[in-house]
Amino acid sequence: MFLNAVIIVLQEILEASLLISVLLVFTQLFHKIWGKSFSLKTSWVAYSIILGIIGAGLYSHYTPQVSEWFDYVGQEVVNASIHIGSLILLLILAFVVPSKKITGKLMTRSRLTTFCMTGVVLLAIIREGSEIMQYVGGIAGQSGNFTPIVFGGIIGAGIGLSIGVLLYYGLMSLSIKWAYRLGLILLMLIAGNMGSQAVLLLTQADWLPFTPIAWNTSALLAEDSILGHLLYALIGYEATPSILQLVCYLSGMIMIAISPLFRKVQPHNQSLAGTN
Amino acid sequence: MKNSASMLLLSITLTSLFSYPASAAVAEIELVIKDHLFFPATLEIPAGQKVRIRIINQDSTPEEFESYELNREKIIVGNGQAVIFIGPLEPGRYPFFGEFFPKTAQGVVIVK
Repeated sequence: MFLNAVIIVLQEILEASLLISVLLVFTQLFHKIWGKSFSLKTSWVAYSIILGIIGAGLYSHYTPQVSEWFDYVGQEVVNASIHIGSLILLLILAFVVPSKKITGKLMTRSRLTTFCMTGVVLLAIIREGSEIMQYVGGIAGQSGNFTPIVFGGIIGAGIGLSIGVLLYYGLMSLSIKWAYRLGLILLMLIAGNMGSQAVLLLTQADWLPFTPIAWNTSALLAEDSILGHLLYALIGYEATPSILQLVCYLSGMIMIAISPLFRKVQPHNQSLAGTN
Repeated sequence: MKNSASMLLLSITLTSLFSYPASAAVAEIELVIKDHLFFPATLEIPAGQKVRIRIINQDSTPEEFESYELNREKIIVGNGQAVIFIGPLEPGRYPFFGEFFPKTAQGVVIVK
């Protein structure tokens, strides 16, 4: 029970924690690259966490009702909508970021970017947090379960948050150019994963047609291995993705790749050279 | 003429890809969770067919149906029920488990 609680809470916390780290790195990078003209307040993280926990509590409380929607596939539909909403916010963020040297303040762009970051993290916490709350709330109440689940949960959350902190400081220790490049790659994979997860959920609900699996790498890297779990949380690794999942994953990546956010990273970009 | 024929073919392909197979009856299987066990623990389904699994949780605790092989994951609230669609699948064994009580809640879908 104890170890199980560690694993369940860890994998839910990890996804949100890695997402927060990558977006926080971008917040710092924007400040370093553009200075005051396009600068975000890091306090968005606090707002998104507080609102996310409240949202997760509400979603978890209403899950019994939500489950019954659409002939008992309500959870899939709501969770897929959360993924699609997150993807849209990430794409708005990527397209709102200024792509060339700018002068003066860009209040609207800064505000919209802050709003998108807050929204993406808020939605991630609602989705992941509600699962933790259902698990802990539904099972810790049983006799003998309280201590192992609460302590396991705390340890799982601690490990998940530590990995996020490690990623943040790892990226921040690099040069601006490399932190930006790696952050961007992670953001592309996160965006692709959001599209892919939405497809998976809607297929499970029979709202999207079945498509054959694209490949099977379960012999090479099992999803239930430690590395498999870590890659699932970070980039949505799946041993047997369907073709439609793959298409949506790649589409999410391509959308980020054609955005102004991506153009900033080109090594020949003059405006970065000075800050490197 | 050739153009309109290919347009027709394209529209048929698109319709067949995205239309909901509401007319084709999907077989339903019931899976009960009781005392953190699955009943029946072995589900047999035919190959190449989509199946609707109705999971009925008779425990007061929630459970999460999970299967790496089937690529499925869903929480079933205590004293509640849920529906999961699987397939069409290739013949083989597809284990599933309850993530909240994995020691006891184990099962397998056998596709023949």
